[in-house]
Amino acid sequence: MAIGKRDGQAEPDVLRRAGEASVLILVSLADGPKHGYALIQDIKELAGVELGPGTLYGALDRLERLGLIESLPTDDRRHPYRITAPGAAALRVHLDSLERVSAAGRLRLQLGGI
Amino acid sequence: MDGPPAPRLVHTVLRCYPARWRRRHGDEAAELAALLIRDGAPATAIAGSYLAGAGRAWLTPRPGHRVSAVVCALLVAAGALGVSTGLLASAGPARAASTNRASTNRASSSRAGTHCRPSAPAFVPAVTPAWARPPLIIPAAVHDRSC
Repeated sequence: MAIGKRDGQAEPDVLRRAGEASVLILVSLADGPKHGYALIQDIKELAGVELGPGTLYGALDRLERLGLIESLPTDDRRHPYRITAPGAAALRVHLDSLERVSAAGRLRLQLGGI
Repeated sequence: MDGPPAPRLVHTVLRCYPARWRRRHGDEAAELAALLIRDGAPATAIAGSYLAGAGRAWLTPRPGHRVSAVVCALLVAAGALGVSTGLLASAGPARAASTNRASTNRASSSRAGTHCRPSAPAFVPAVTPAWARPPLIIPAAVHDRSC
């Protein structure tokens, strides 16, 4: 599941080893920029996962280094983050990959009669 | 918007982060901690999360520092190789002499008909390779005078 396929061309799933926190952050940022506190609240709502602040900043740094998100300029102490075009593409590839695994799992459970 | 002040414990833990991280996220992290504590999160859990994050921040190599780390590793390896080569070169003749003496003793004892207990095989270099020999330095002044 390391490779996602779009438009007949193979794209590497860069989020495969990025960790759950990174994926959740990208999903949360997919509908618009957010700062740290808003990200934690949104992820708690959408996935029921309470991200620790240390985990959050570690994942934000990693995603920023990979060029998947960017920090927006602000005068406030809080930095809003925005998903970049490569970040959105990487998220699509990863979600496609998860969908394939999910469909295969459901089908096999059905065939196995469990 | 100013949130409530974060407890001293969180501020102490935030000091464990590298300076570059504190410059970038320090104020925001303190404010976030204060907001989470206001929402009911235990301060110890937040401090623990930041402490683990600080450990990760120190262990994560920065992109610009990878090259220097490789250069340092190469220098250390080169230094270790030089030291071991020097030791090998200085110990080579001594080992060769002791080997000769041992073989002489063995030969004489076998001639005398005594039984020896076999010893564990050990690597003994018979000839010092050219790359392991110490360089021969001839002072230029002496060389000039003799010629």
